Amino acid sequence: MSNTLIFGGMAIVSLFVFMNLGKIKASKNQTGRKNRIHRFKETNQKNIIDSSSKEVTKNEE
Amino acid sequence: MSKHSAINRFGRSSNPAFSRNFDQGGFRTQSSSEMDAGSGFRTTSSVVESADIMTLDGAVNKTGVLLALCFTGAAVGWNIPALALPAGILGFILALVTIFRSPSKAGTTAPFYALAQGVMLGGISLMYENLYDGIAIQAIGLTFGILASLLVCYKSGLIKPTENFRLMVGAGIGGIFILYMVSFVMSFFGSGISLLSPTNGSLMSIGLSLGIVCFASLSLVLDFDYIEEGAEKGLPKYMEWYGAFSLMVTLIWLYLEILRLLAKINSRR
Repeated sequence: MSNTLIFGGMAIVSLFVFMNLGKIKASKNQTGRKNRIHRFKETNQKNIIDSSSKEVTKNEE
Repeated sequence: MSKHSAINRFGRSSNPAFSRNFDQGGFRTQSSSEMDAGSGFRTTSSVVESADIMTLDGAVNKTGVLLALCFTGAAVGWNIPALALPAGILGFILALVTIFRSPSKAGTTAPFYALAQGVMLGGISLMYENLYDGIAIQAIGLTFGILASLLVCYKSGLIKPTENFRLMVGAGIGGIFILYMVSFVMSFFGSGISLLSPTNGSLMSIGLSLGIVCFASLSLVLDFDYIEEGAEKGLPKYMEWYGAFSLMVTLIWLYLEILRLLAKINSRR
């Protein structure tokens, strides 16, 4: 019985920690270091990915 | 011209679910074209819909959903252990489909995977429970305990996954995979590697299980880092499911190894 209580409680507390801490961004200590694993190419650090402009002539309109 | 039409490549990881390159066709952008009244220039831009981007919140919530499904499956497997083997095979097939065929469909396959693997885990847990009373709850507690403590270590920056770290974990998991395969092939000839047997309580066997548990735990750190980086880089939304699925694959492996380790320790009594 005590076995179930101890390990069951441990599982519930751990799940609670995971569900809450998991949603928080990692510390600068973790994300700001230079030797991070870079799996992905840089993408949308900002919302606008790319843009292009061209002059519109009257014919095109 | 667009320089960033999509992410071209997903990186390598020791987790089999992360070890494949993906086509990033699922990365949704919204193009707009509008006339700038002042300058007479037409501008076009691609704006990523923020609702379609992977977030930490989403990945954690989806892991919660998969865990709930796994527990539901485990309850079924516990009561009907005969389903464990077919469910295990189904789960294995679903894992292969998710990893190699359609990672973008992880939202569909991952819940079924979790359910099927849950049924298998329920049956296996009952088998161990019949051998050693109370072993299943110990393994569950230890699995989630390791998950939470490593998450704290990762988030605080105590454990810092680097390329070398990934290489080390990858090499270790590769070695373990070869060991499993050799044992699997030997089982066809009525033999096997006794060190992997749950009833082998020798120190060597326990040490091997402890090592495997360590590698499974460390690969959790790589999963956390993958999800964190994915959310930072704005991967497509379906990667939340894929990240959650990968975490489940590692957690299930870790749970099974802890069960085996505890059985070995109990067999010494």
